[in-house]
Amino acid sequence: MGMEIPFDVANIPGPEMGEVVSPEVIGSYISNAERPLLVVGSEILRDKFFIEIAIEIGKKGIPIAATGHSIRGFVDTEYADNVMYYNLHDLTNCLRDPNWKGLDGKGNYDFVIFFGILYYYASQMLSCIKNFATDPLIRAVSIDRYYHPNARMSFSNFTPRMEEEYKAMLNRLVKSIRGRQK
Amino acid sequence: MDKIKKGDLFSISGLENVRISIGGIVEEEKEWEPMGPHPMPRIATLRDWDFKLLNRYKPFYAPVCDMCCLCTYGKCDLTGNKKGACGIKMDAQQGRIVLLACLVGCSAHCGHGRHLLHDMIKKFGRDVPIDFGPEVDIEAPLTRLICGIKPRTIADFEQVFDYIEEQIVQLADALHTGQEGSYMDFESKSLHMGMLDSLNKEAADIIQIACYGMPSSLPGGGPDVPLVDVGIGTIDTDKPVIIVIGHNVPPAADIGDYLTENELEDKVELGGICCTSIDTTRVYKKAKIASALGRQLRVIRAGIADVIVIDEQCIRADVLELCQRVRSPMIATNDKAMHGLVDRTDDDPDKIVDDLVSGRVPGVIILEPDQVGEVAVRTALQMDKKRRLLKFILSDDEFKHYVNDCILCGGCTLACPNGLRIGEANQSAAAGNIKPLADLFDLCVGCGRCEQVCKKHIPIVDVMTKAAYPQLKEEKGRMRIGRGPIWDSEIREVGAPLVLGTIPGIIAPIGCGNYPNGTKDAWLIVKEFAERNYIVTLTGCMAIDCALWKDEEGKTLYEAHHGRFDAGGVLNIGSCVSNAHIHDAAIKVASIFAGRPLRGNYEEIADYILSRVGACGVAWGAMSQKAASIASGFNRLGVPAVVGPHSAKYRRAFLGRADLKEDWKLIDASDGSEVYVEPGPQHLLVACETVEEALPMIAKLCFRPSDTDRGRSGKLTHYIDLNLKYLNTYPPDWHLFVRTASDLPLATRNALLKKLEDEHGWEIDWKMKKIREGPIRGYDPSFNPTNLERLIREKK
Repeated sequence: MGMEIPFDVANIPGPEMGEVVSPEVIGSYISNAERPLLVVGSEILRDKFFIEIAIEIGKKGIPIAATGHSIRGFVDTEYADNVMYYNLHDLTNCLRDPNWKGLDGKGNYDFVIFFGILYYYASQMLSCIKNFATDPLIRAVSIDRYYHPNARMSFSNFTPRMEEEYKAMLNRLVKSIRGRQK
Repeated sequence: MDKIKKGDLFSISGLENVRISIGGIVEEEKEWEPMGPHPMPRIATLRDWDFKLLNRYKPFYAPVCDMCCLCTYGKCDLTGNKKGACGIKMDAQQGRIVLLACLVGCSAHCGHGRHLLHDMIKKFGRDVPIDFGPEVDIEAPLTRLICGIKPRTIADFEQVFDYIEEQIVQLADALHTGQEGSYMDFESKSLHMGMLDSLNKEAADIIQIACYGMPSSLPGGGPDVPLVDVGIGTIDTDKPVIIVIGHNVPPAADIGDYLTENELEDKVELGGICCTSIDTTRVYKKAKIASALGRQLRVIRAGIADVIVIDEQCIRADVLELCQRVRSPMIATNDKAMHGLVDRTDDDPDKIVDDLVSGRVPGVIILEPDQVGEVAVRTALQMDKKRRLLKFILSDDEFKHYVNDCILCGGCTLACPNGLRIGEANQSAAAGNIKPLADLFDLCVGCGRCEQVCKKHIPIVDVMTKAAYPQLKEEKGRMRIGRGPIWDSEIREVGAPLVLGTIPGIIAPIGCGNYPNGTKDAWLIVKEFAERNYIVTLTGCMAIDCALWKDEEGKTLYEAHHGRFDAGGVLNIGSCVSNAHIHDAAIKVASIFAGRPLRGNYEEIADYILSRVGACGVAWGAMSQKAASIASGFNRLGVPAVVGPHSAKYRRAFLGRADLKEDWKLIDASDGSEVYVEPGPQHLLVACETVEEALPMIAKLCFRPSDTDRGRSGKLTHYIDLNLKYLNTYPPDWHLFVRTASDLPLATRNALLKKLEDEHGWEIDWKMKKIREGPIRGYDPSFNPTNLERLIREKK
């Protein structure tokens, strides 16, 4: 898909910058991951659609860490299956520890999906994962409406006028994720 | 020969033409307290304490830049924790950059304090006593604690600054290529720098309180200090207006003196931006606060100032250009911010005023504070007449033209630190609805980056200001002026409730205005905790910003709450340097309430505060390097801090792991036994994404191992209630803080016991209403927590 400008234009971290990919590519990685984790932030509360997308992903057997105050969206929708509040700083700190037991006590994750998190906060946490969660490697991707150079894979920037296009991308992503046993 | 006293002149027969220079006379200090183990600690002195903190609250790094470009081996790519050419790894490089930020921040306060001391000695002499009145015996807790000095006059702070400056140089040395290589040691050095910074701030504020008679416990000070106007709407633009910007108050104080001496107090407005404005209100009763730092660009561009006077720190680098744009002459008063102007110190004031008023020069430098008042006031009086008819707020036609000109390219959004969707707001305004644009005014951090990238050259800041102008004119808040030190008598009253936990905590919102979602968050944080009977102590820009908002009755928080250091109080302590008094309050709890020795005894006092004083800093809009060193200073003293999401860009946090039992092992000082405790406080420095998340986090970081069951029950009530209110759910970790049934709030005890049984598998004795099994530990009222083996009284 080519090069993209970071959503915060000066946020150029260094030689390793994330690739802009299609929803299906990310979906394929999620499907093939051993232990994927969806990390959602407070921006999912701006439209019920985004909570529904997160729940759809959750229903495919992928646990959800609800950061910021995003947990409200799940509580209000009465979805509590595999979702848990976590502070994003705290969570990222755990992710960089290979011995962390995870949300379910079964161990750390190998693939992390960032969704609906304040751009610059997400970018810093993605930077931590990129730089310090390397052995074993954790792949972190973003499915936000921003290009995230610190993610391994990311969508491109979407202006508010492109909201429907972005939503369509998310629908394609959900469709492309293979369900797994919870 | 008679005994020579300090300051005496004497002659020696036959040596009249010989000049003898004596560096200083060491006066024997009266013994006021035995010296503790660590007076004037050097880099390695408190390293063991730092490592205790760092092993529990491990440094967490999130690089902003994956490279190092500090030497000519580089650039080096450190991505993935690789080593650079010099051998430094990414984690150590991040620690190094954090130390650099703390160095800059600490140096700013040290430079400020030393500069102030020079000016004050010159103006008032060396022997100005440190006397804060009958309610403050421990006048300088940090100075006593760190230096082992009990200052009697302002000149005694010379040795304090000598110590700090020497340490700063040693720490700066460690930043050089080929020096420190361990991230843990870089962090120990950052904590050392932060401690030095806390000392800087205390020294600077004590000096200005002593010299200017700022509020203390002498008449007129303390909890009942007067209220002052805050907000751009409070500045009377029908009068000549002088706006002061920065942190170092002597030039602004001289302006106030000149206005008073010439009976111009009601004829000229003296307003300010940032900490200088707070300190000006402590010395000149008619001063007003135009805004905090976040609105600097917009206040200047609004053109309300007939003269702008800058001193040091947090001044926009393009301030002169901004002043020229609105034809406000500028006076620079500090050699650290001279902006390319000509130094006119000691020139004839008539000539300087004439040059400024005629526009022959855009500004001048006057480095003697006592020369600033006359020039600033006389210039303002004349400029007011010249500028009266000028308009700097856009006309309706200009506004319409600009919003229609926007092509929705999105460039401004990509340039905006908060990613504000400005184009869409312009589009709404073009269609006749200006509300979205007006609403952006408070969310904007006021940097102006958007304008530089606008393809249509729209003056976006002005357009936004125009849209919000009706509200801005009505922006009229009230703030209690900075009260300075917390009284010893107040500490005596609240020491026990704070340590036992029945006052749930001290919340300290401090620092800059780089908020993720506007100034109202600052108000909400203060409101929520003051209404819950925490003690809320504010300084700096958060103290200003929270004063802009009012409740349903039209009252600001300062009007709705008392100013005592007691439950439910909302205290403006003062400017950035005044936040040392918040450290001091915690130290005084250890000293006055618990009787712990203070002198040269930092480690023991920090250990006490970490385990027993439920205090939490909140820097929701932290922006500067000073904020980095301030936070590090709080952290070394055992006070955690919650920061806003922008602060993730500081690169480093100190995060505890609730799931690692070994990290939460304390010693019972009574018998030396080891006790595993709940994770309190869980983090030393943590960012939250939104204010809704921050509020429960702040409450959580007030848990301490020493809480009594009654105190713990109160803290749990707030922690759970804030979660339910803002996150709509119970916190997943509330059970970790339950030691016994009496820790649970009485009103909900049965329901919570049931939840413990059902959701966490705890064994409950329902007949006795007791917990049989489940908690990390039981409640032991005699538990005497410490991290320091040397404090064990009697080993088992």
